[in-house]
Amino acid sequence: MIVIHPFAKPLQNDGVNPKNYPYWQELIALINEPIVQVGVDGEQQLVSDFRKGLSIQELKQLLAECQTWIAVDSFFQHLAWSVEKPGIVLWSVSDPNIFGHTENINLLKDRSYLAKNQFLWWDYTPYNSEAFVKPEEVVYHLTSLQNTTI
Amino acid sequence: MDKVLCSVATKGRYFTTLPLVLSAIINQTKLPDKLIIFDDNDEPQDMRNEFLYQHFFNILNAKKIDWEWLYTHKKGQHHIHQAANSMGFDWVWRVDDDAIPETNVLQKLFNAIRDDAGAIGGAILTPPLQFEQFSPTGLLANIDSEPNIQWQNFQKAKEVEHLHCSFLYRAGIHDYNLGLSRVAHREETLFSYGLYQKGYKLLVIPNAITWHLKNPQGGIRSNAKEEMFKHDEQIYRNILGFSGQTIVVLNCGLGDHIVFSRLLLEIPNPVVFGCYPEIVPCRSIAEAQALFGDLDQWNIYKKMAQWNWTDSLENAFRKLYDCHSPIR
Repeated sequence: MIVIHPFAKPLQNDGVNPKNYPYWQELIALINEPIVQVGVDGEQQLVSDFRKGLSIQELKQLLAECQTWIAVDSFFQHLAWSVEKPGIVLWSVSDPNIFGHTENINLLKDRSYLAKNQFLWWDYTPYNSEAFVKPEEVVYHLTSLQNTTI
Repeated sequence: MDKVLCSVATKGRYFTTLPLVLSAIINQTKLPDKLIIFDDNDEPQDMRNEFLYQHFFNILNAKKIDWEWLYTHKKGQHHIHQAANSMGFDWVWRVDDDAIPETNVLQKLFNAIRDDAGAIGGAILTPPLQFEQFSPTGLLANIDSEPNIQWQNFQKAKEVEHLHCSFLYRAGIHDYNLGLSRVAHREETLFSYGLYQKGYKLLVIPNAITWHLKNPQGGIRSNAKEEMFKHDEQIYRNILGFSGQTIVVLNCGLGDHIVFSRLLLEIPNPVVFGCYPEIVPCRSIAEAQALFGDLDQWNIYKKMAQWNWTDSLENAFRKLYDCHSPIR
């Protein structure tokens, strides 16, 4: 079972968070595993098993049970790091050297897409779907991660 | 060589003590790398039109001292000092606009710099001298019961817990508390004690005398109201109440709390204020705001921006809370 945490925290200006991955549907179609989506009310449901509003303890339990996970740059990657469960983080404008953990697979297309100022609210950074890696690359790394964790 | 900024905040003293102060700075045996005059006057003037100041500026240029005259936003001298603190210099020599350093003061303070020094002060004397025979401890706990150690020309260098008025300090290590009122009562005590709490030594050294004239006219604290002093005194007392503990304020997101939680054991005697007690046991941010007035000095994102940070968030927390300070 793979856990996905597809969406970063909503912006205060109601815009699209520039950290949100644009190709979830395509990525999910390429994964031949049961997928559990975690998130909160108001987020788009991407798979049939969408568990909303789980507590930190419930999320930790889910992490203990899953094979691995895929997430955008959000609290979830930190939580998984804290319980030592490696997974894949899909980056775009935030810098994995600052906000990531080397224990994970950090997929950043190119550092040229990083926001110049990493320490402002993300409301000020425009959304750019070009900043993300393609689903095929994610699946390639997912397979290699699954092979190393088996 | 460490770069020194000399910072002078001024109000209402264009033609009284400020010229004496500038003259003293210009004639130091060690010159600062830069002089900034922070002009907090209600009706600021262009001093380039004044004969005396024209010559000051010409001498500064002749001596190749970089200088600026900045007009401030009338928020109080703690904001001015914090601006100087954040300008990228290694050391800041803060000089009041009615405090006249003898010619050797910066040289003496600078020569006393050592790896573990956070700030160095000399004697701050007001004629006629009143405190010639006393032996203060320089401990913050005794601040209400003894004269300030800097109010005499002591004979031997001494480590203390707080400094007063004018001193040379290591820049960018500790922030001024911007939650104080415009009067900024206790600002230098809180600031210097903050350096001490971060493990740096505060030194007072002999024979570096600044004559503090306590000019009754003007001054950054003019037009102060009694309630401002009370407000600032309360913040000061609140912070003092946590002496010996590391105040941690996590005014940030869930993920940041999770990252921080792994460091908690590295922090000496922490008392934590935060937003997610289920991640890090903590008291509320509202309580921290009420106690300390301003939380910016603990804002990890502001600190990372200030440090042009490129390392990990985890290590930024370590730097902020001095987990592995070589001097601790």
